[in-house]
Amino acid sequence: MLPRAVVIAWVVAAGGCAPRSQAEPGVLLVEEKEQTASFIRNFNPLLEVGDVRWPATHAMYEPLFIYNALSGDYVPWLATGSAWSDDHRRLRVDLRPGVRWSDGARFTARDVVFTFELLSRFDALDLRGVWAFVSGVTAVDDHTVEIAFSRVFLPGYYYLAQQPIVPEHVWKDVADPVTWANPHPVATGPFTEITAFETQAYQVDRNPYYWQLPERPQVRAIRFLAFPSNDQAAFALVSGEVDWAGSFVPAIDRIFAARDREHHHYWFPPVDGGVLLYANTTRAPYDDVRVRKALSMAIDRALVVKVGMYDYTRPADATGLNDAHARFRDDAAVAAGDWVQHDVTRANALLDEAGLLRGPGGVRRLRDGSRWQVAINVPTGFSDWVRATQVIARGLREVGIDARMKAHDFNAWYEQVQEGEFALALGWAEPYPTPYGYYRAMMSTATVKPVGVAAPENWHRFGLARADELLGALEQTADPATEHRLTAELQRLFVASAPAIPLFPGPLWGAYNSTRFTGFPDADDPYAPLSPNLSPQALLVLTRLVPREPPP
Amino acid sequence: MRYLIRRLAFYLVAAWASVTLAFVIPRLMPGDPEATMFARFHGKLDPEAMAALRRTFGFSDAPLAQQYVCYLGHVVRGDLGVSVSYFPARVGDVIATGMVWTLFLAGLAVALSYALGTLLGIAAAWRRGGWLDAVGPPLFVLLGAFPFFWLAMLLLFLFGFTLGWSPVRHAYDSGVTPALSAQFLWSVATHAVLPAATIVVATVGGWMLDMRNTMMTVLGEDYVTLAHAKGLSPRRVMFRYAARNALLPSITSFGMALGFVLSGSLLTEIVFSYPGQGYLLIQAVRSLDYPLIQGLFLTITLAVLGANFLVDILYVWLDPRARTRSAS
Amino acid sequence: MTALMHNRRALIGLGVLAGFALLAMFGPLFAADPSAQLALPLSPPSWQHPFGTTGQGQDVLAQTLAGARTSLVIGFTVGLAQVAIGALVGTTAGYLGGWVDDVGTLVINIFLIMPGLPLMVIIAAYLPTGSITIALVLIVTGWAWSARVIRAQTLSLRDKDFVLAATVSGEHGLRIVACELIPNMASLLASAFIGATIYAIGAEVALEFLGLGDVSHVTWGTNLYWASNDSALLTGAWWTFVPTGACVALVGFALAMLNSAIDELGNPRLRAERGYLAELRRHGVRPGVSTPVLRREVS
Repeated sequence: MLPRAVVIAWVVAAGGCAPRSQAEPGVLLVEEKEQTASFIRNFNPLLEVGDVRWPATHAMYEPLFIYNALSGDYVPWLATGSAWSDDHRRLRVDLRPGVRWSDGARFTARDVVFTFELLSRFDALDLRGVWAFVSGVTAVDDHTVEIAFSRVFLPGYYYLAQQPIVPEHVWKDVADPVTWANPHPVATGPFTEITAFETQAYQVDRNPYYWQLPERPQVRAIRFLAFPSNDQAAFALVSGEVDWAGSFVPAIDRIFAARDREHHHYWFPPVDGGVLLYANTTRAPYDDVRVRKALSMAIDRALVVKVGMYDYTRPADATGLNDAHARFRDDAAVAAGDWVQHDVTRANALLDEAGLLRGPGGVRRLRDGSRWQVAINVPTGFSDWVRATQVIARGLREVGIDARMKAHDFNAWYEQVQEGEFALALGWAEPYPTPYGYYRAMMSTATVKPVGVAAPENWHRFGLARADELLGALEQTADPATEHRLTAELQRLFVASAPAIPLFPGPLWGAYNSTRFTGFPDADDPYAPLSPNLSPQALLVLTRLVPREPPP
Repeated sequence: MRYLIRRLAFYLVAAWASVTLAFVIPRLMPGDPEATMFARFHGKLDPEAMAALRRTFGFSDAPLAQQYVCYLGHVVRGDLGVSVSYFPARVGDVIATGMVWTLFLAGLAVALSYALGTLLGIAAAWRRGGWLDAVGPPLFVLLGAFPFFWLAMLLLFLFGFTLGWSPVRHAYDSGVTPALSAQFLWSVATHAVLPAATIVVATVGGWMLDMRNTMMTVLGEDYVTLAHAKGLSPRRVMFRYAARNALLPSITSFGMALGFVLSGSLLTEIVFSYPGQGYLLIQAVRSLDYPLIQGLFLTITLAVLGANFLVDILYVWLDPRARTRSAS
Repeated sequence: MTALMHNRRALIGLGVLAGFALLAMFGPLFAADPSAQLALPLSPPSWQHPFGTTGQGQDVLAQTLAGARTSLVIGFTVGLAQVAIGALVGTTAGYLGGWVDDVGTLVINIFLIMPGLPLMVIIAAYLPTGSITIALVLIVTGWAWSARVIRAQTLSLRDKDFVLAATVSGEHGLRIVACELIPNMASLLASAFIGATIYAIGAEVALEFLGLGDVSHVTWGTNLYWASNDSALLTGAWWTFVPTGACVALVGFALAMLNSAIDELGNPRLRAERGYLAELRRHGVRPGVSTPVLRREVS
């Protein structure tokens, strides 16, 4: 295998004579996932789904609490603490004293009240849908806020905690906050002063009034370059042009880490939403739990993960939970879920038992006597999914199902899965702070929509009355022990009924180069996820980094 | 003058046709572009928030004719709507970020390629049967047969990634502030070398062949024979008599070539991460940003129409026959 | 046709094309399954995989061969369709003249002046992805080139004696176009067809590279799309994009050679030039600056 050495030599040579970090000391170069050829000056933090520059929600505007997906804790941020009323219909939040906006004005409870009222007035800004369960937000005094609930809904805490707070004295004069680009942000976060803004690069300097100064942040400024493609972003990381990166890098160990084991590090914890094979349970034979389990057994997940995901994640267990929910994982449920093991013999046996026998040519017949032909729908742009699906289709063909991958345009695929017009399809599961949201999407009857009606989740259209009871109980419980018990029961229900077929949990991309800065989280010091793509968790990292050379 | 007015009328009709095409195509096609556009906000938006956004984008159920009139009004005012992928930026603002760079790159490449190709063509015609005439055309035809973007990938891989001789992205160094300084201009020049070279390499052969063949025809004209007979130096005959007249037909194809090169330049920009319209186009396609796709189509088409009109003016200025012909 | 066989450029062009046609027809029978994952992703060329493997562990050789099949079929189909439409519009406009010609010319010119790629993208973006979409888009955006030359040729033939004679003898217009005009444009049609095919193959590759094709199909364009998608440049996997690009260029080159040979046969002056030069050289004379206007048969 001489050529492999040549390849590495090429790549090493590539970086060897190339860059040179162009930043001044103390200026952190961040490569976040957004890929664009030209930056548009938009720092509106309430518009996360639009083309908003990264710092708006990751470095400028701060929430009350930061949910740390790795530890499962809420880190007090603009708030210092919170307390529920006994009936869980009111939440009192204590705000941090001494916090100032970057123009020097004081941060008070009025700002929090104003922000939530803004969401209620402009529903396009209420991305988390808090007004679906909140009935009012009032300021008790300058440093205390009380949030009233229209119904008991404990999972709502997550959405309230992470809402970015904007200053009333600036935003009250904005006519239409939905289309406002907020070019000169006034915020409470560590980096607020835009000192350079061009279409290819921009820089944001430290907030002179930041509440954690003088200890934090140590970083003087953060700087961004426009990377229009994944390749370009990865090349910048490999060649040392950026310090902190969050995009997918192929074969990262070989092309990045191996070049400088001391400074080049990556950490891809599988804590993002999972990827699943959805079987439409309104159609025969996929309404049969034996069939769904057999399909699952025919899949070689290790190969799926290797070919599709460069081994960056692990095969899913039968609960479908990612590693952020590891503390909820029920060992009994995992042990019972043997249907995620690749086992062609048992898959064949289960299908035979279900009455779907092989006909001539080795292809199984459906109950109406026709050949079992099925298309697995994937969106075209998702190359990792396309690779994974090819492995899955081969596995299904081995057990006598004539399965073919069918790549659709993203919108066609999205329409099909939402409206239930598919037999098999690859799809995602949204990442939720607790398993509650995940299992609600998987098997609550409340999320089941008739075929032909678009459903935002539960594309496989599966619901169980028992799941509804458990989920309802979870919505109203604040006791960790009860929460664990209910979640474990949900997991066993999922494993027994296999509503969907988990493939692998999604990894969170994060890599860093410690030549110029130290203090990044990693597997040894997992104080926060490494990925810069998570808001507001990036604040935890930004305030912890320390430059190697002291700024001038 | 009549000639120019006729041309202007043609360009206006062509402009109207492209504006209408941009309106008709999305409405003729199957599928629901509106639903698609919002699909990218998957899971992040509640249905109510989605409905509110939709209103922001101005989707309406008005009759087609009314939509069309409204659309024409917007286009005339230069209002191309709101971009989906750059939400809430307006399409016009998004396009403005890259227009200069695309025009610069495509213009530079066309000019270079035209000048170089024409000179090579003259040289080949000058020494017919010489080595340039023998090797040049097939070599450039071969080079021209490579896809633009593939040549770009190869050059970028060799000179950018592997050898590190050339910048791998952007129109200038990120450390340089745009100003009329030597440092900035130098940075712009070094960043333009590879992308422009790609386009020149791929298109120079066409100009060379064109020029060579026209030269052949012109060299057979009586006035060239007469010039020879008068005993003028061959160099003088070649440049003052033959080449000058051979240039005219190639100027008319200059306008057409601009459209072609612009297309190629878009692809080249994508590979070199050049901050022009090319990457905007691919991003618009991948994120199904229909307003941006339409806006790009319109601005690029109108730019090409404008450039062609300029070429027509140039042509009239250069060729007195065009003036007299229209007068008759 | 015999003249074509004696032309060196034509022979080169035809030879390369024939080679590709054979490879496209029979190659995939012998090569591996182009979409199967066979080996480690991005393995460099080896005896087992002479062109290496892609980022998905597929055999690049097999993909190149399978790609040849689809890309050539699309290319030639589109070329044929473009010329057919071009001939229809061009002869109609040229032969009928009057307002039909005015409208026809206007439409042709509008399509000619619109920049191709953005127009293709705006159409392709709204249609379901697939080879048929790509072909349709290429036909819609490319037919005007052939229409223009065919119209011009029709105009010049229309006043020729044999056409006038046919008109006077009361032949039906359709028949004149089909039996008198078209056969007299054979070399022009051939040249337009080749030009359209070159354009179609190049544009198909470009559109699919942009991701506007069906990326689960194996074509030359999607091969390049995947190469770029699987970070070929970054990982140094040159073998994933070089073979396909070289094939596209070779086919384009062969077609261009054939075209220039046809041009030469159709253009007496260029042909005379060649013969004249050959004769001069035979007599040891360096070519001068003038071109023979009269053509003398040099045997």
